[in-house]
Amino acid sequence: MSDIGSDGVLAGVKELSPAKKLFMHLSVFIILFGGWELGSRLGHVNELIMPAPTSIAYRLYEMFFVTGSIYWHYIITMYEAVMGFIIGVSIGMGLAISAAISPVFRRYWAPYAVVFNVTPGIAVTPFIIAWFGFGYSSKIALAALVCFFPPFINTLTGLLHIDKDATELFRSLGATKRQYFIKCQIPTATPIIIAGLKLAMTGALIGTVVAQFFSASEGVGILMQRFAFRLNMDGSFAALIVMSLMGLSLFTLMEYMDYKVIYWRRHSRMEEVSAKRKRKWTMAE
Amino acid sequence: MADDIVIQGDGLRKQFTETVIAVEDAKFTIPRGSFISLVGPSGCGKSTLLRLISGLIEKTDGDLLVRNSEVVGPRSDIGMMFQKAVLLDWRTAIENVLLPDEIRGTVSPEAKKKAWDHLHLVGLQDFEFSFPRQLSGGMQQRVALARLLQTGADIMLLDEPFGALDEFTRERLNVELLKIVDDPNITTVFVTHNISEAIFLGDQVFVMTPRPGRIAAQIEIDLPKPRTIDLETTPEFQAYVQQVRDVLASHLEDQPL
Repeated sequence: MSDIGSDGVLAGVKELSPAKKLFMHLSVFIILFGGWELGSRLGHVNELIMPAPTSIAYRLYEMFFVTGSIYWHYIITMYEAVMGFIIGVSIGMGLAISAAISPVFRRYWAPYAVVFNVTPGIAVTPFIIAWFGFGYSSKIALAALVCFFPPFINTLTGLLHIDKDATELFRSLGATKRQYFIKCQIPTATPIIIAGLKLAMTGALIGTVVAQFFSASEGVGILMQRFAFRLNMDGSFAALIVMSLMGLSLFTLMEYMDYKVIYWRRHSRMEEVSAKRKRKWTMAE
Repeated sequence: MADDIVIQGDGLRKQFTETVIAVEDAKFTIPRGSFISLVGPSGCGKSTLLRLISGLIEKTDGDLLVRNSEVVGPRSDIGMMFQKAVLLDWRTAIENVLLPDEIRGTVSPEAKKKAWDHLHLVGLQDFEFSFPRQLSGGMQQRVALARLLQTGADIMLLDEPFGALDEFTRERLNVELLKIVDDPNITTVFVTHNISEAIFLGDQVFVMTPRPGRIAAQIEIDLPKPRTIDLETTPEFQAYVQQVRDVLASHLEDQPL
């Protein structure tokens, strides 16, 4: 059985056999990168502007398996991005929960969050560097700043958009505000909160890399810039791909969390969890 | 107030804004164990009257007593059911039925046993651990009914509970509902805009008319019990339908659609 909504962007694409699908993927890949490689080899594309895929691939191989120079930068960048993410998300969700609980807070404080959001976060990088210095903390701070808004607005929206009937049900059952919050508002808001976290994850990585561009001694961002300044384009591209890999791994992590936490939106997951709950119930008896 | 009167309204009035009077001068008594159908066109204030009784909204004026005490808010002897099942998607059927106990802090092996029995009573054996999204609309309403039974409330307020379901499912559920609430201690108020349904279910039908919302007539339905679907074709039944139509027509003819 297919998952609800899983065909989203792929709706209307004809379903092929696995072998044919692999063939299609390979063909597109070969046309794209083969064309690029060929362009470089034949001298149509200047290596200083656009290095050939094979030279970028070789640089990647070197970074990971020959010199191993990338690992430290990789770890530092991940550390800064993830710390920024945790701080930004905590602040964003904390403010959203306060705003959801207190109408006064929502009315008089939340507007600042909006102003904050429309100000380009990246533009405050010089201030962040001035306040937090050249070390890790300025990168973490910028990452937190850039990623704080999506969890804030999504959490707030999710907590406030509760079905009117559900609210009446909880009231008629005599639920306290706390019970309503925990048993109704939070679970209802979870899917949209996680959507906010996905955006925040990407934002945190952007914030980290931009702060590294400004001033850093370690990190994939500064590594990329050093290569670029030396006109070492294949190195620079390799660093960019490393960033994509980081983004991809973090995003996959969020997708996995989505899959695990929001089981009630996927048929296959509902069957799994249903069986689990059944076992738990029978054991308790 | 006699002992067997459970709900009593007198001069009851609910005004939302200067021009919107949802309920005007409602006077009624509802005896213990009876089934009252509240029928009328949309916007006649029937849902508002139901919510006044439930304590979800406050009256503007008049008296409204439940068991001789003024209604000031939701109370545990009153349970509600809505047009939507309002199930929590992340909970299995049985966990949804247990919600009232969780909120009151009365979860126990006995309560769990009861939830199990209630689900079976509404015909959901083998679906105890299904999630709402795995159930059909009719089954979801069955879970909602089991949850209502689980509250232990003996006053049941139902707001078009099967209104969103297809005709066949609705008829079946109505017959089953009558069996379940056929208890001298359970008082039911059922809101609907379907005249046949109102007569089929009710011991009494309150006919409501809009702008302002008034109870235009209170009709005793003297039809044999237990009721079955073929009752609807009898001349007696049709006479009641005509009677309700006449009440509505006489109040609606001078109103814009």
